[in-house]
Amino acid sequence: MSTLLNISQLSWQVQNKAILQNINFNVRKGEVIGIIGPNGAGKTSLLRCITNQNNILASTNVTGSVQLKNRAITQYSAKEVAQHFALVMQKNDTIFALSVQDVMKMGLLPHKTLFSLDSDHDKAQINLALKKVGLEQALHHSFNQLSGGEQQRVLIARALVQASQVLILDEPTNHLDVFYQHQVLQLVNKLNITVIMTVHDLNLASLYCQRLLLLNQGQLICDGSPEEVLTPKQLSQVFGLPCQQSVDAMTGATQVSFYLPETDEHHSRFSESVDE
Amino acid sequence: MNKVTTIFLVLIALVILSAMAAVTFGPADIDSAELISCLVGSCQNQIANIVIWQVRIPRVLVALVAGMGLAIAGAILQNTTRNPLADPYLFGIVSGAGLGATIANISLADNLTVALPLAAFLGALFSVIIVVFIAKVLQRMEQLLLAGVAVSFMLGSITQFILYFGEPFATNRVIFWLMGSLARVEMANFYVIASVLIVAIVTVIAVHRQIDALLLGDESAASLGVDVDKLRLLMLGICAALTATIVAYCGGIGFVGLMIPHIVRQLIGVTTLKLIIGSALIGAIFLIWVDVIARSSLPHAEIPIGIITSALGSIFFLFIMYRSRAIT
Repeated sequence: MSTLLNISQLSWQVQNKAILQNINFNVRKGEVIGIIGPNGAGKTSLLRCITNQNNILASTNVTGSVQLKNRAITQYSAKEVAQHFALVMQKNDTIFALSVQDVMKMGLLPHKTLFSLDSDHDKAQINLALKKVGLEQALHHSFNQLSGGEQQRVLIARALVQASQVLILDEPTNHLDVFYQHQVLQLVNKLNITVIMTVHDLNLASLYCQRLLLLNQGQLICDGSPEEVLTPKQLSQVFGLPCQQSVDAMTGATQVSFYLPETDEHHSRFSESVDE
Repeated sequence: MNKVTTIFLVLIALVILSAMAAVTFGPADIDSAELISCLVGSCQNQIANIVIWQVRIPRVLVALVAGMGLAIAGAILQNTTRNPLADPYLFGIVSGAGLGATIANISLADNLTVALPLAAFLGALFSVIIVVFIAKVLQRMEQLLLAGVAVSFMLGSITQFILYFGEPFATNRVIFWLMGSLARVEMANFYVIASVLIVAIVTVIAVHRQIDALLLGDESAASLGVDVDKLRLLMLGICAALTATIVAYCGGIGFVGLMIPHIVRQLIGVTTLKLIIGSALIGAIFLIWVDVIARSSLPHAEIPIGIITSALGSIFFLFIMYRSRAIT
């Protein structure tokens, strides 16, 4: 597998706080990578730097480099970046009554010139992408009236129309129930394209990602397979909780479980929050 | 798409028919045979010829392009700010024009035919520059609208201050001008508004996909390669130029930019290309007929057109509120 992305010595400092510190890793074509870590670890910030959102790499607070196909990402235009990376964000609500088709057409934008109209080929592409996510019948439905899981799938389909190279997802399973969490991640896992996503749920990350990056306080603590990354020693250090690793009998995936020890201090906090 | 094309063709036909029908209305008594002969250039009655070519046709054409322009300005602002209540009025454009017109009326009373539209235009641009400057400092979209409202009130109070201490004659002129009227328009005004309108429409069609991308949020648009700030600034500039030009010649005509895009969204669609074309056509039909009401409903006087659009607009909005209450 060839190297697609190269992130080296990436640091981001805002005032005296280090948001990212000396991050180094490569992404090979076709990998499905999950970025895990506690709140505020720098997961979303890392995604922003990788895609050079708002030309963030040009800011003086950011040092290091991100290379796409051996060329600095800062040398690509915003349009070229959009042709390589497709983002699926956490929040996508609109007050206007957009149809699924309207949302899908947005994905064509990075491949279109000014004044251009939709061709038959565009329509075929949109239908194909919707078919891949199992929503081919929803073309004329209202986007706002879809369930959270269906909206997420439409956005993934939009990403497929936009760029077939790298799919970036920020917490794709947020606000979804267990069924849709698995449905969305399984879909992402089977697309056969490069995927980089932040995931909160460690067991879902383990099940659907080949490789995990564990971040804590802006540092890359560990980079490897789920089995290598999700070790009790590392996780209890990062999350501040005792942890156990096991192999799930049904899926064969590495799974972890945490518990909060009942020391006096912890116990009182815990019972208070339960009372609420 | 087929349904949309049909609607557009019907609307285009209605625009042409409305414009032709509107030429038959007016205080001078001209029958249809005379009207047709004047239109094809074989007019016997010299007065009828002048009335039709120098009074009625310029007026109907200005109503047509002004309706298009105001509706489009509203549609652009609404899609680029993701706020269905955005309107040129909310961005202080009209109150800026009002201030400009007031200053011109009070200080340069001699040469008003040139000075008034020019001053109104400069005032409108001035207000937009302030709004954009505030928005640049704050960098928040919700606050861009609030900044517009604040600037609008600020310029409005300056205008009222000047009028209160101004000469009563000039004050009267300004107040009537603010109510809006197409009574004094000329063919030259039509050409100016139409040129700005063409530039605006061509620009919007060029970037219609970029504007659509904004509908799911700035972050989503940026990830699709859109330079969000630059696009929004460009669109705001276009709306300002469009509204300022129209307001400069026709005075204050409210609610068109708010009302027409709302109808188009219900009838045709929310994406920019459909919204712009639909708003242009329905806006033109709307203002042509409102102007007919303005000049023919009272026997010996005209009603200022802004009074009618505001009255219709407020009733329309109460109706929308009532209907959406019934649905939810």
